[in-house]
Amino acid sequence: MPAANVAAQVRTSLASLKASDLQDAQIMEVLKLAHQLTDTMKLFFSSLDQSICQEFNYIADYISRTRDEISALRPNDIKSERIPSAGVELEAVVGDTEKATETIMSEAEAVLCEEAQDYDEYRANVEARMMTIIEACSFQDLAGQRVSKVVNSLRHVESRVARFAEVMGVRDADGFESEAEKAERERAERNLLNGPALGGPETSQDDIDAMFAEAGGAPDLDQSSIDNLFD
Amino acid sequence: MAVEMTMPILVVDDYKTMIRIIRNLLKQIGFENVDEAADGQEAYAKMQENKYGLVISDWNMEPMTGYELLQKVRADESMKATPFIMVTAESKTENVVAAKRAGVNNYIVKPFNAGTLKAKMAAVLGDF
Repeated sequence: MPAANVAAQVRTSLASLKASDLQDAQIMEVLKLAHQLTDTMKLFFSSLDQSICQEFNYIADYISRTRDEISALRPNDIKSERIPSAGVELEAVVGDTEKATETIMSEAEAVLCEEAQDYDEYRANVEARMMTIIEACSFQDLAGQRVSKVVNSLRHVESRVARFAEVMGVRDADGFESEAEKAERERAERNLLNGPALGGPETSQDDIDAMFAEAGGAPDLDQSSIDNLFD
Repeated sequence: MAVEMTMPILVVDDYKTMIRIIRNLLKQIGFENVDEAADGQEAYAKMQENKYGLVISDWNMEPMTGYELLQKVRADESMKATPFIMVTAESKTENVVAAKRAGVNNYIVKPFNAGTLKAKMAAVLGDF
């Protein structure tokens, strides 16, 4: 029941009590106090109503602003267009590189196995296969264009998410990780799955060789083998 | 001891192309008896069936990684002495150190060439 109604109801009850012919001085004193209390309560409730109303207005504004910002984020476009098309492009890159590798390797293997005895025939066969290899390398142009598209999509998503986080003052929550993500992360940590480093190997082959040339060995390996290997 | 050029070699990689590249390189070096597996689990099963003279394995594979395969092999009496070379894109020092601790015989970082493969095989098996 709204505060104003409660106050009105109490006031009516008091008025009807007052109207009944009560003579007892103490009761009149209580009624007086009750009157004062009602007036105070009325003021309190009306101020309470106002601040609650302001709170609700603020929350409503915030919700409306959030909805506008989410809409500016264009989540449906990201979910139904950008991400799926990026996935399709990357799959095409994988397919194209696979096909090109298959062609290049088959031709190279054929060259290695070329059995023509006559020089001219050998040369013609090898040249034809080399041309096929050169043609197959055109996958790099297509793959480059496809990857650029994906990079653009990622930039698009990145800029919108960044703007959203900034406007809404979003801070990253801790521990937002599904069971599957957690299992995958733990597996990667356990197995030291770091993946290829950008810009070439992080530890060069020479440095690795140096590590293997150092004294000391692997505990599970049979000692005589280690001695032979790490001389 | 002379290296037996007909010894069976197990190549473990989840990318068919990489297996094919290694097969070709091995063929050029003179090893033609090559078997393959797509991950650690398949490799371990094959190693229980057959005895290999050398395992050349990638690191990052599903469901069983080359690192787990190496640990399993070294813990298994029947195959713990099998020479094991890791061929991988994992190039952090922690990876090399962990593999070495687990008993790998040598470590090749991708991309690599025939010369490197031959040199590491010679370091592990002896000159051929």
